Amino acid sequence: MSDQEQDKDPVLSSSLSRPLFIWSALLLLSLGWGLWDEIYGTRPWKSYQAQFAKVYTAYLRRVRPHEAGFEKEIRASADYRKLDSEMQAAEKTVSAQVAEIDRKVNQELVPRILALNDPFQEVRGHIGALTYQIETTDSESSKNSKRQEIAKLRQEKHSIKLPGDEKPEEMDFGLMDKTLQDMKNEKAQLLQQRVEILKPATELRAQREKYVSDRIADVSADTLTGLITKMQDFDIHIRQIHIKDVELVDRCESCHLGTREPVTLTKADIGSEVFVSHPNKELLKIHDPEKFGCTPCHGGNGAAEDSVLKAHGRHKFWLWPLHYRENFEAGCQQCHVKEIVTEMADTLNSGREIFRRRGCMGCHRYEGFDREPDEMTTVTQQIRQLEQQKAEWTREIGFTTDKADKTRSNEEAQRLYQHANDLKVRITGLDAKIEQADIRSSDLIREVKKVGPSLKEVRMKMRKEWIPVWLEDPHKWRPGTKMPTFRLDPEEIRQIGAFIWQSGVTGNLPSQAKGDPVKGKEAFETRGCMACHSMGEGNERQGGDFAANLSRVGEKDNYDYIVRWIHNPRERTLPYCPFERRDLTAEDYKKKGLPFVFDMDHDKCPNDGHELQVEQMTPMPSLRLSIDEARDIASYLMTRKHDNVTYAAADYLDDPQLKSKGQFLVRYYGCAGCHEISGLEEELRIGTELTKEGSKPLERLDFALLGHEAEDQGWYTHKGFFEHKLQNPAVYDTGKEKPNKFDRLKMPNFNLSKPEIDQVATFLLGSVDSTMPERYHFDPADQRQDIIDGWWVVRKYNCMGCHQVHIGQTTVFMVLPRYQDPDWKDQKPPSLIGEGARVNPQWLMRFLTNPSLSDTDANRDGVRQYLKARMPTFYFSSGEIQKLVRFFAAMSSQAAPYIAPKMEMVSDQERTMARQLFSSEGAPCLKCHMTGDPKHDARATAPSFLIARERLKPGWTERWIVHPEMMQPGTAMPSGLFRRDGERWVFAGPTPPSFQTYARDHADLLVRYMFQFTPEELNRLRASAGAGAGR
Amino acid sequence: MDLHQLWTIISLPDNVPIVLLMFVVPFYTWYALRQAFANDRLIGELEANPALAKTHHRKTQPWKPGWAKEVHVWPFLLRIEFLAAIIVTLILMIWSITLNAPLEEPSNPTLTMNPSKAPWYFLGLQEMLVYFDPWIAGVVMPSLIIVGLMVIPYIDSNPLGNGYYTFKQRKSAILTFIFGFIVLWVTMIVIGTLIRGPGWMWFWPGTTWDHNRLEFAVNRDLPDIFGIKGRVAKIIFGAVVCGLYGAVAGWFIHKLIAGRSLMIGKWKLIKEQPFNQRIFKRMSLLQYAVMQTFLIIMLALPIKILARLLFRIKYVWVTPWFNV
Amino acid sequence: MKSIFVSVVAASALFVAGCGGSKAPETAKEESAAPAAAAPAIDEANAATVTGKVSFTGDKPTMRNIDMSANPKCALAHAGAAQKSEEVVVNGNGTLKNVFVWIKAGVPDRQWPVPGTPVELAQKGCMYGPHVIGVQAGQDIKIVNDDPTNHNIHPLPKINQEWNESQPPNGDPKLKKFAREEVMIAVKCNVHPWMRSYIGVVNHPFFAVTGDDGTFSIKGLPPGKYTIEAWHEKYGTQDVEITVGAKESKTQDFDSAQMKSS
Repeated sequence: MSDQEQDKDPVLSSSLSRPLFIWSALLLLSLGWGLWDEIYGTRPWKSYQAQFAKVYTAYLRRVRPHEAGFEKEIRASADYRKLDSEMQAAEKTVSAQVAEIDRKVNQELVPRILALNDPFQEVRGHIGALTYQIETTDSESSKNSKRQEIAKLRQEKHSIKLPGDEKPEEMDFGLMDKTLQDMKNEKAQLLQQRVEILKPATELRAQREKYVSDRIADVSADTLTGLITKMQDFDIHIRQIHIKDVELVDRCESCHLGTREPVTLTKADIGSEVFVSHPNKELLKIHDPEKFGCTPCHGGNGAAEDSVLKAHGRHKFWLWPLHYRENFEAGCQQCHVKEIVTEMADTLNSGREIFRRRGCMGCHRYEGFDREPDEMTTVTQQIRQLEQQKAEWTREIGFTTDKADKTRSNEEAQRLYQHANDLKVRITGLDAKIEQADIRSSDLIREVKKVGPSLKEVRMKMRKEWIPVWLEDPHKWRPGTKMPTFRLDPEEIRQIGAFIWQSGVTGNLPSQAKGDPVKGKEAFETRGCMACHSMGEGNERQGGDFAANLSRVGEKDNYDYIVRWIHNPRERTLPYCPFERRDLTAEDYKKKGLPFVFDMDHDKCPNDGHELQVEQMTPMPSLRLSIDEARDIASYLMTRKHDNVTYAAADYLDDPQLKSKGQFLVRYYGCAGCHEISGLEEELRIGTELTKEGSKPLERLDFALLGHEAEDQGWYTHKGFFEHKLQNPAVYDTGKEKPNKFDRLKMPNFNLSKPEIDQVATFLLGSVDSTMPERYHFDPADQRQDIIDGWWVVRKYNCMGCHQVHIGQTTVFMVLPRYQDPDWKDQKPPSLIGEGARVNPQWLMRFLTNPSLSDTDANRDGVRQYLKARMPTFYFSSGEIQKLVRFFAAMSSQAAPYIAPKMEMVSDQERTMARQLFSSEGAPCLKCHMTGDPKHDARATAPSFLIARERLKPGWTERWIVHPEMMQPGTAMPSGLFRRDGERWVFAGPTPPSFQTYARDHADLLVRYMFQFTPEELNRLRASAGAGAGR
Repeated sequence: MDLHQLWTIISLPDNVPIVLLMFVVPFYTWYALRQAFANDRLIGELEANPALAKTHHRKTQPWKPGWAKEVHVWPFLLRIEFLAAIIVTLILMIWSITLNAPLEEPSNPTLTMNPSKAPWYFLGLQEMLVYFDPWIAGVVMPSLIIVGLMVIPYIDSNPLGNGYYTFKQRKSAILTFIFGFIVLWVTMIVIGTLIRGPGWMWFWPGTTWDHNRLEFAVNRDLPDIFGIKGRVAKIIFGAVVCGLYGAVAGWFIHKLIAGRSLMIGKWKLIKEQPFNQRIFKRMSLLQYAVMQTFLIIMLALPIKILARLLFRIKYVWVTPWFNV
Repeated sequence: MKSIFVSVVAASALFVAGCGGSKAPETAKEESAAPAAAAPAIDEANAATVTGKVSFTGDKPTMRNIDMSANPKCALAHAGAAQKSEEVVVNGNGTLKNVFVWIKAGVPDRQWPVPGTPVELAQKGCMYGPHVIGVQAGQDIKIVNDDPTNHNIHPLPKINQEWNESQPPNGDPKLKKFAREEVMIAVKCNVHPWMRSYIGVVNHPFFAVTGDDGTFSIKGLPPGKYTIEAWHEKYGTQDVEITVGAKESKTQDFDSAQMKSS
């Protein structure tokens, strides 16, 4: 190294070329990177689409040959070939004519038309232009000159040589026009002819194609080929659904490309979950994505597409994350708010049902649930307003009349009198309205039910010692019971117990003779108790879970009370007056000199005339059992107990000091939400409203100290909050310092199973302040509304425990072991699918009011006396009956009100024929249907013909006797009784000789006969049948 | 030590500039000073040797006898600037590709996020809100800052130091800048970003930002501490205190500007600065007054901050119209 | 000569199946596509036989008389002696009649040829006859009504499809079949509640019903290890593990006392 180099001025001598080069290169690279990032990096959906194109085409190619082969078979079939040959033949016969026509049109006419068209158009255009100028110019002179010009054009001759003519023809405008029109008309005629001629052939072709399409279950090979070609020019671009008025943009299908493909794609088919088709095409048909989009139901961020995470909205900044699989149906709740049952949303339905049945709405208001109290307030308000209105008008009448008396002119006077009269009439209208409202309000008192039993009755019903044990942990004593476990300390238990016990009412309770437990057991298992109640513990558990498990009733209850309860569960010890807010006693009645009677017919308060609560607020119906049967069942239930369990004495329950403390606690824990408790009848809900809980801002959900844990473990979401809360309601107290126990969370633990938690969570997640506009909400004005309303009643009284109400539903009876036995199969309560089409609503109304259909003999079933299980009396309010009747009508889309079709009378000859048929060995109708002969009816398996007329609808009856297996697969009613003979149904078995000459429909005859059936007729039948047997 | 928390804060795209700031600012400060000191040495050398100074007046390092007096802007300066431009562009490119602008939830007027922070370059101002009442911190201070920056050229009567790094020729200017920008502005931004958590509470780095955290802190006005009641009394007291401060600070700053030595007892706080004295002579009264005011106010800032942080003093001067 | 050829085919088929472990799905697909083709030929050469009897222990229950008075025509048919219920029929030699014996498990999973001849289920004197029948899945059941009265046949399967059809007096016979294996399917007649019959539907031909001598025999069984089940309407079922070698003929007896109702 020399001094020279050292002494060089670094500023001048140093070269920056290398760093410049390197850095520029890097800059260039980054530029490339930037481009890549812009085109692919931030657009992952592109690669998805590329992949889809690949796998989908591959799949289509894979399945096509199979389909094709399948179709070849069809095409090979004799019928197809026959159709085909016919089609060919038809085409051949007319082919000559068709060819001729085609020649005429294409060879002759078309060229001539074309040849003449141009010169004609030319002149016409010119004339048109001149006409326009005439219309627009003002000066008459120029108008005239133009007119002349046009005239000249019209006269002017053109020599035109049309193809086919040998010499050109001289034509003026008019002639050209005419010839052109003629030729065009001719062409049209010919083409019309062609169609006419080809018609038979075309129809045959259509038949042939239909034959194929009818026999292909899945998509046809042609469709597949079509799809393949479509996929060949598949271009990669964003697929988006844009709904203007909601400003909804969903680009989900940019990646989920298989969703709406005609071919059903499963993960197995296409190898990736991303591309599978929508699992429920039917659902998709109802909710067309073009109208509803994806995210309104599924959640997620439809507009985002630069990462899966963002698109699915699974990060804390998106308020509506994609629902997880177990909560999919939460989306339904967004618009189907008014329903308790939504078709095809079983998880959601169970969620709602738990919310209703386990009494969540006892503490948490939820719009639509536990609606009676809400409606009650509105109705009373309405009544008040109407009363006011009425008063106003009455006053106005007075004013107007004396104004009229005083006024000068007669006209004016008359006008005023008229006005006064009108008002009078209108007032009567008001009265009608008020009457309706009154009915509704008395209905409502009857409709209000409580989730739990009335605690006013404890003194009469319970064993004192049992109460503390139960309060400590209901689920320990009776696993899976409705009542949740409160976190009570011993002192609280003593106090609550004391209050409950001491606030219980007492009344006369006749002591009952013992019954026969064995008969009782039989009755319990066959009368229908088990449709709601379950019996047996652990794996032995059988029956419905709508009501309590009765395996240990013997340990807690008082026999006499149970007898009364079974005999009539609605019987109340003391009537409750909502106005005075207390239970009335015999004294109240004595003071007014009234007998101490209160029931549906005596339901007015003697003190202030207000509507009384004269029933137990339980949905449990009366089975109209005889007192003896009630005793039997009760004695059986009393035998249901664990051996050698002892309960510590609980005399402290009578300690009055504890009572006052207890009352505070009972209020504090909101017991009155589910139970009827003296003094707390009008308690308000203690929990937060949950109607919109799902869209509460996450920050408002109190994760307390678990917030960070939640974020780290990824459950800092609504889903996570609900699930943890339901799993352990006290969870958000963990680690909190709350020395005062009344600061702690008080929600009790319902011990829900994982699936149950999912169901409730689904329901809550769906309970959002909907982002969709009103018109999307499911609030139909037509019959579907009746269905919505009806379901609430059906669920409320657990009709589905016994009856199949909608297709695919299983009842408790269907799974009870006893009813698997062939002999018991026909003992199941009837299915109600199509009930609306089957029965006359008038009759149904009567039946629902009094299922025994008799005022004298209540201890029976009105329709099917042979059933051990019995349709109970629910003491429905008139409103509920209306709802139910409308519900069934709507479910089978029947017009309301029902007007019975006019029926042709059966002629005497027809009657004798029908009679013969009924009593013939070939037609065993009377073998199964009840005849009124007790010996026979004991074995009967079908209702009597006597009630057919008022009960059934003729149309349904005919469909039924012809095809019972269609309506109820596996019904006791045998199918194949009739066979089709031309246009009519004829009896399949041997018919009496009189039928030989009868040319009309046999089924129709029998139906008409049935609908004009009389007791006398029945007797005759019985007699003749008996006689037939004798011979 | 909640490293996860620390990481979430640091890795937040918004906070990346601040994290960068913490390293870049000190580095360049050091780098610039290094060059400045080098130049100062050269200047010293040339001043010692007038002959040499005549022939060569290149004032910047590297320097050797015989090297060019001047260096052309093109290409020698521009090419370097060009290189710098390339590098910066590259950095910006990579930055913009790798860090997307953070997207947060749809705005909801009924629900403000917590902590809700201003853009990083305003966090300093937001932090000031803690120490002054909104009127002062939100309106007066920012405008003063802008005005202050605007007046710099007019009050700077020091002709030296153009076009080259030097410390000894612009000592006071540089120190003032370092104090104003780094100490006040940058640190406050860093505090606002990394240390202020939910509820704008003070979270040392590495502690969990707990939304449930509660903190007991009463801030009292200075008059109350001295048990002064009555509005007027308070106004007067505040005015007095502020006046006193002004006087003391002014006296101190005057010594600095004028380059006089300041003795307290037998300690020499500031030693004689002949250079400053010369500059001081060139100053007009107006220039001097303006400079004084701004410096006094600037100095007040950290004092108030410390008063608040250490002694929990809310306001010194409480009036119905404004609080200081 | 032929049998050798068959056995060779069988052997090779087994071999293929044996080493075709890796590409099992393909073979499965083929089978589903064309079952008959891929199924290996039945090895008649080494077919084994299982025979035995079902003995009855305990005191013989007396069956109640069926009261057919509800339907005179039926009563007429049994004018002489009242018809007894067929729930339990103990033969003279102390064996049990109407026991359905079948190979419950172990039979190689393949398509067994379905016999073309239908099994007859008669309705005579308002009784089903025979009381217990066995058919192979897909095999026809010929139901005839020899009575002067109308019957309806109502099988109550749990797996197969349920149906209930009426059959007029001396009406033309019905041909019915069940697609899936199910033991047992109870058959009743809603018109005549006492009528009862049981049909055992099995995927393979290895089943039998004990007759008046209480014996059964299952032939043509490929060598292997099997579970045999005996089923009786009242006493329930009894399972037995059994291994048969080539051309072996084993005897396996059952006993009503061993049966436990499920």
